[in-house]
Amino acid sequence: MSAYLGQIYAIVWKDLLLELRTRERVVAMGAFAVLSAVLFNYSIDRTAVRPQDIGAGLIWMTIVFGGLLGVGRTFHLESEDGAFRGVLMSPVPKDAIFLGKTLSNFVLLYVVSLLIVAVFMLFFGMEIGTSPAVLGLVLALGTLGFVALGTLFAAVSSGTRMGETLLPILLFPVLLPMIVAGAGATGTLLAGRPVSEVVGDIRMLAAFVLMAVAAGAVLFRFVVED
Amino acid sequence: MSGVGVARAPASESPESATAAPALEARGIVREYGPVTAVAGIDISLQRGEFLTVFGPNGAGKSTLLGLLSGALRPTRGDVFVNGTRLDFGGVDWRHDVGVLSHQGFLYAQLTVEENLRFYGRLYGLRDLDRRIPERLADVNLGDRSHSFVGQLSHGMRQRLALARALLHDPDVVLLDEPYTGLDPSAAAVLRGVLTGLKDGRRTVVMVTHNLGEGIALATQLAIQVRGHFAWKGSREDVDVADFERLYHRVVEGRA
Repeated sequence: MSAYLGQIYAIVWKDLLLELRTRERVVAMGAFAVLSAVLFNYSIDRTAVRPQDIGAGLIWMTIVFGGLLGVGRTFHLESEDGAFRGVLMSPVPKDAIFLGKTLSNFVLLYVVSLLIVAVFMLFFGMEIGTSPAVLGLVLALGTLGFVALGTLFAAVSSGTRMGETLLPILLFPVLLPMIVAGAGATGTLLAGRPVSEVVGDIRMLAAFVLMAVAAGAVLFRFVVED
Repeated sequence: MSGVGVARAPASESPESATAAPALEARGIVREYGPVTAVAGIDISLQRGEFLTVFGPNGAGKSTLLGLLSGALRPTRGDVFVNGTRLDFGGVDWRHDVGVLSHQGFLYAQLTVEENLRFYGRLYGLRDLDRRIPERLADVNLGDRSHSFVGQLSHGMRQRLALARALLHDPDVVLLDEPYTGLDPSAAAVLRGVLTGLKDGRRTVVMVTHNLGEGIALATQLAIQVRGHFAWKGSREDVDVADFERLYHRVVEGRA
């Protein structure tokens, strides 16, 4: 088991080190988040709709679209010099590769999702609510579910000519339950309502994460093997 | 976790033959890409210490053959055994016994030389990386470049680093695909020294190359692959080195 965890750690360490060196994914996702918030800010008629009524939905749409920019490039650096083939030919179970890449994607997207919430609060004048820790948990579950399926489908689409087009077409329909629960819980928490009102949404998000991670771990080998 | 199941050689073999199983064996391996047959039924049986060099024209299926022997590609038909263990694509244990130097280096340009080796060392579960990495880098004359980014290395240096990566886990079976391609004489000499060092009686090597001189110098077995199959094979001792180039052309042109 320790060898298995060591292999997952190696993949996370390598992915985060590459991102630290290139900054290509975090910068793209972060810039997208800020620009989206600015555009939403100017495109909403505040006399017709209160920003806090639609803020949670906009936050989650920004996480999903911004996350797509990062997750979609998961295998970009891997394709240079055949590096991913080297990983596949090493004695690492394919599910460990999947879990490692999912975890590194999660770290990156979670940081960006916190930035997105902060930017929207700034532009839309929203309050953090009374339970910031629970809001952090909701964002963590949502982004983990997103990157689990995103990593799996990025592996599917990376080998195709229409990869960047194919990824959202594959991914968005299966994300629907997560977005509904995530946006619902976020809206409730940002409105300062009690945590007891979001327990159902959190359970839904946790179930979605379990399903997404398990499906990805099982199916990943069929996607990447010859 | 994925299964790590392995399949030993068929039970019909006697226990004696199982203990003396070839280090690398291919039984009638075929690889088809739709209507194209890249490897058309090749048998290989190499004991420990043997060094097989495979020559052949472009498009003969040599790289595909190495892909099949390394487990990177799944045979359409036939089986490959490493130390008597059939390559099982659901398992991973046998991958500890195989090292591959491909056309591509499997290296990350944005990581340093040392970071690349440390990453692969962790994937192979190696515990003594602080000792092993400097040793491997010294073997390929890159001891002073451990903190250089791979993207800043010359082609020859990258090729030597790729060889250090392939040998990092001390594999029993080493597969080399065109290792001399694009190397200057100095880099080729370093590579020759490392490959000569592989002839330690313990390792089994298969090398694919167009370089007749280098290939013959290192080999104990030779083969010429044409249109997916071994059109000729023999022992190095049976070959007249001076006449081998003529033999090669006769075989490739179908006159032998």
